[in-house]
Parts: sequence; structure tokens; C-alpha cells
Amino acid sequence: MGTLTSRPKRQLAMVFDLNKCLGCQSCTIACKTLWTEGPGMESMWWNIVNTMPGRGTPRDVFTHGGGYADGQPVPGNFPPLREYGEAWGFDQEATFFSGDVERVPLHPKEHDGASPSWGPNWDEDMGGGVYPNSYFFYLQQVCANCSKPACLEACPREALYRREEDGIILIDEERCHGYRFCAEACPYKRIYFNPTRAIAQKCISCYPRLEAGVAPACVRQCPGRVRHIDYMDNLEGHPHKLVNEWKVALPLRPDFGTEPNVFYVPPLAPPAFNEAGEFDETQPRIPTEYLSEMFGPGVERALETIQVEREKVARGEYSELMDILISRDWNDLMGPFTQNPAQLDRAPGRA
Amino acid sequence: MTAPARIRIHARQVAVPGLELLAPGGIAWGECSELRIPLTPTPLKAQPSAYVQAAWAVKPYGTLTAVNVSAAIADYALFVRLRWSCSSPVRAITDNDVFADACAVMFPADGADGQAPLMGEPGRPVELWQWRAGTDAPFVLTATGPGTSTRLGHHAVAVASEWSGDRWTVVFRRAIDAPGVTLGPGHVVPAGFAVWQGSNSERAGLAAHTPDWISLDIAR
Repeated sequence: MGTLTSRPKRQLAMVFDLNKCLGCQSCTIACKTLWTEGPGMESMWWNIVNTMPGRGTPRDVFTHGGGYADGQPVPGNFPPLREYGEAWGFDQEATFFSGDVERVPLHPKEHDGASPSWGPNWDEDMGGGVYPNSYFFYLQQVCANCSKPACLEACPREALYRREEDGIILIDEERCHGYRFCAEACPYKRIYFNPTRAIAQKCISCYPRLEAGVAPACVRQCPGRVRHIDYMDNLEGHPHKLVNEWKVALPLRPDFGTEPNVFYVPPLAPPAFNEAGEFDETQPRIPTEYLSEMFGPGVERALETIQVEREKVARGEYSELMDILISRDWNDLMGPFTQNPAQLDRAPGRA
Repeated sequence: MTAPARIRIHARQVAVPGLELLAPGGIAWGECSELRIPLTPTPLKAQPSAYVQAAWAVKPYGTLTAVNVSAAIADYALFVRLRWSCSSPVRAITDNDVFADACAVMFPADGADGQAPLMGEPGRPVELWQWRAGTDAPFVLTATGPGTSTRLGHHAVAVASEWSGDRWTVVFRRAIDAPGVTLGPGHVVPAGFAVWQGSNSERAGLAAHTPDWISLDIAR
């Protein structure tokens, strides 16, 4: 409630490289199996990966308000569960034991028996553009632990708070009365509602793992080595290097005004084909206007930097940027959180 | 200029088993007088969140104009009954954007006069009994200001509710000598009332409430 009077002593930050994501959802499942198996959490996906351009999760994810305009809170809404995708049921009895498996396919059903009309990554791989200039990329989202968190400032009960030691924003489930102003105010729609417990819940940045020196599950389980994590004040850390020095990692929808601490390396696509079927080096495959809307005005410069550095490597020259993005040593992605959880005396506790 | 006389609700002794009073539509309530108590929207400026103030600046809330209240003593317990019109009941929280109907009775925790009829003040807590549709047990809370309410894990308040004829009826019961605000026979306790209309997404501090204390006069 009210205003945030001070910034945390340190700020944890992550960078997701959109050029490396396979869309395999390993991060999603790692998170799901670790954190959201409890009652009322069936349809929660604290980590989610959607195809872009796309409508996202919930449907039309970036159109539900929240965040700030000219420093003032923007009213938002909290879409119904169906717009996120329910935890669908499957009538396995009918399919496998009716004796007519070909005519009774296994089909998802919502709680009232209706066929789903939306769900996580519903428009998978549809993307944008027209063949041969079609394109898409995957967009990963977790709670971005914003520096100006609309969720925290919206709560009339101070049920959300920011950890001084790392800037992670958490919900005090004892204080939360399920009013859901936080979910309305989050422009990224990264807060869920647990109907069984009547409280809000969200990504906790795997803070119990971090406290044991272990990277978040989504980071550690990513086979594409997409995710970099470190404190932003570590001048040798990847987030600082990519965001502040190389300026190739950008916030998602900076126009929402919440100053997120998850940053994205924008997707670098081949040039568009012209009518003769040849590359037109002057025309980007992914419209710059679209990328600017998603990642702000720095996106053109970021893409140019990546292109220049790639070409250096192609010529056999050294590029610090490419080394960081490639991260040949897996541990380099994880900053100070390189502890192997299997080698802990005991597994980090759950929240 | 003298202050207007405070509305007074008499909780009289009723010679029926308490269970009959806990029934919202119980005929025993016919022996008790019922007062129609005006309600007004809670003040928007008192909402402790800039977001809530912005989101509700042009959206009406707390539009229920009155709640009918009656009270009685039986089986050494106090019963308070609230009835209000509701043509679109929301009986439970069934989705992200669904908010259940609710009501509450509030007392200064010390049972004394002298504080504003809002959510308490530092050092001067209020005690609330809150019913929310879809829950079996009421919440009992204490608060020392807007946004500070804390639910008590253990309490002695029971509740029963019924919706029929476009109207909610909710009865709270608490033993006279149970922990909490003093409700002994012969006491006159300030009380406040609030109703949240779920169909209008009302929750938290967005409600229709009594802007002044009501006197609950508990019979000897």
C-alpha cells in the first residue's frame, strides 16, 4: 500500500535470450512440478512461454491494463480463468473403455464440460507475417520483480513486499485476503488467484533455491541456455554486461512503466525476401515497429550490435558479447547461483 | 448545537433456544424489532492504495442504501441479524474476477465511544465479524486502521446465512462471555455495519457502511 520509499540493497536480474529459446517448455515444467502442485494451483503457470507475435496468456495478455501512465496507476482487469486456460480434464474412461476409441478421441474439457477456447501458448508457432516472410519467436515470462511494482503498490494490505537483499517481490499469504488488486495492476498478468485458498500467488524467483546458492529451476533446467541471472550490481555479471554495457537486453513493454528486472535479448531474424525470392537486406523479417512496441526504442540498436558482433565472430575475431550470449560454460549463466542442488546436504525447502 | 441522536438497536432477551435465532428466517426473529439503517459508500480517499483510488474514481460502489438490523439475546449469547436487498447474489468466489457478497459487524474493541467509525486507529483497535458468501465460518478480525485488519485464528463467532426473495439474511452469534468485545447484559456498545456487493466487485475497503456508530443496547 502506498509508496515504496527505498530501493533494495541489491537487485536480482535476469536476461532471457530470445534467439536461443527452443519453445520446449522445460522451464515451464520445472517450475510447475516444483511450486504449483498444491490445491487450487492446478491452472497456475508461474513460468510461461508463448509464441509471439501472438495473443499470449491470458488471451491478449498486454491489453488488460495495469502498470503506470505518466506515473499514475492505470486501472486494469483480471481476466477469468478460462482466458488463462483451466486445468482441463480428460474423459479417459470414455476414450479407453467405451470400446470405440476411434470415435471418442481424448479431448480436453473445461470444468463445465465445454471445450477449451484458450490456454497456455494456445497459438503456438502461428506467429506473424506472410509466407515466405513469416516469423515467430518464443517469449518467456516469469515475475519480473519490477523496480516500480504496480502489484505491490496496489495492495491495500501490504500483503506484497520486496526483499531488501535481492529485490524479489513476494506475497505474504497470511496477510493476503484475496482482493486481487495486485493481479489487476500487474500489466504482465503474472499474478494468479488460488480459488481454494482465496489468495493471490505468483512466481517467487525460487528464493529458497537462491538462498542455498542454487539457480532458479527455470534457469537451471533450460536446455537452450537462454537464461542468465545475477545481481545487477555485479559489474562482471551477465545482466549488467548485457543490459548496461552492451545494451542488447531490453525490458518487455517498457511503456507499462513498472521497470521490470527481467530483460530480453530481442530476436534477430534474417532479412525479408523480396518478390524475386531474394533477401532484401533493407527489410527486416520481423517488423521493427513490432519489436519496438515489445522492447522499446533501443531494439534497433540492440539488433545492430548483435549483428555486428556475430559478424566479428564469423570472421574469426573475438567478441565478448557473443561469448556471454553463448556461455560455453553452463555455470557462467548462473552468476553466484552455481550450486548443484543434488550436492546439497538436503534439498532446498519449499516455500 | 447538539449532535443528532444516535440510532439505537435494542437486543432484547428472547425466550427461545438460540438455535432458532441462528436460523436466518427463524420465526423467533418476529419477536424482535428491526431497524432500517442507512448506508453510504466508504470514502474513496480513505482507501490506502493509489491504485484502488484510481481504479474506482469513476466507478460507483457502496450503492446499497440500507441494511435492516435486529438483535437479540438468548441462551446467554448475542445474535445480530442483517438483511439487505440483493437481486444478483454472488454466493461464492468461482473465478478470478468473481467477488462474493459479504457483510460485517464492527465494534470498538474496548466497547467504548470516542473513535471514528472507520477501521480503528493506532492503539485503538476495532473488532469485526465478517461473513462472506461461500464460507462456512465467519472471519473475526481486529484492525488499527485501514489496511491493517488481521484475522484471528480462533474465535467464538458463528454465522448462518440465507438468500431468498432477492434478499440476503445473515445472523451472527457470539456467547456473551466469549473473548472479544464486552457484550454483557446492560452494556451499550457502539456498532457499525458494512455490506459488500459481489456483483459490483466490491471488496476490501470498497463497501457500503454506516458512517456513524450505532448504539447496540444489550438488555439486562
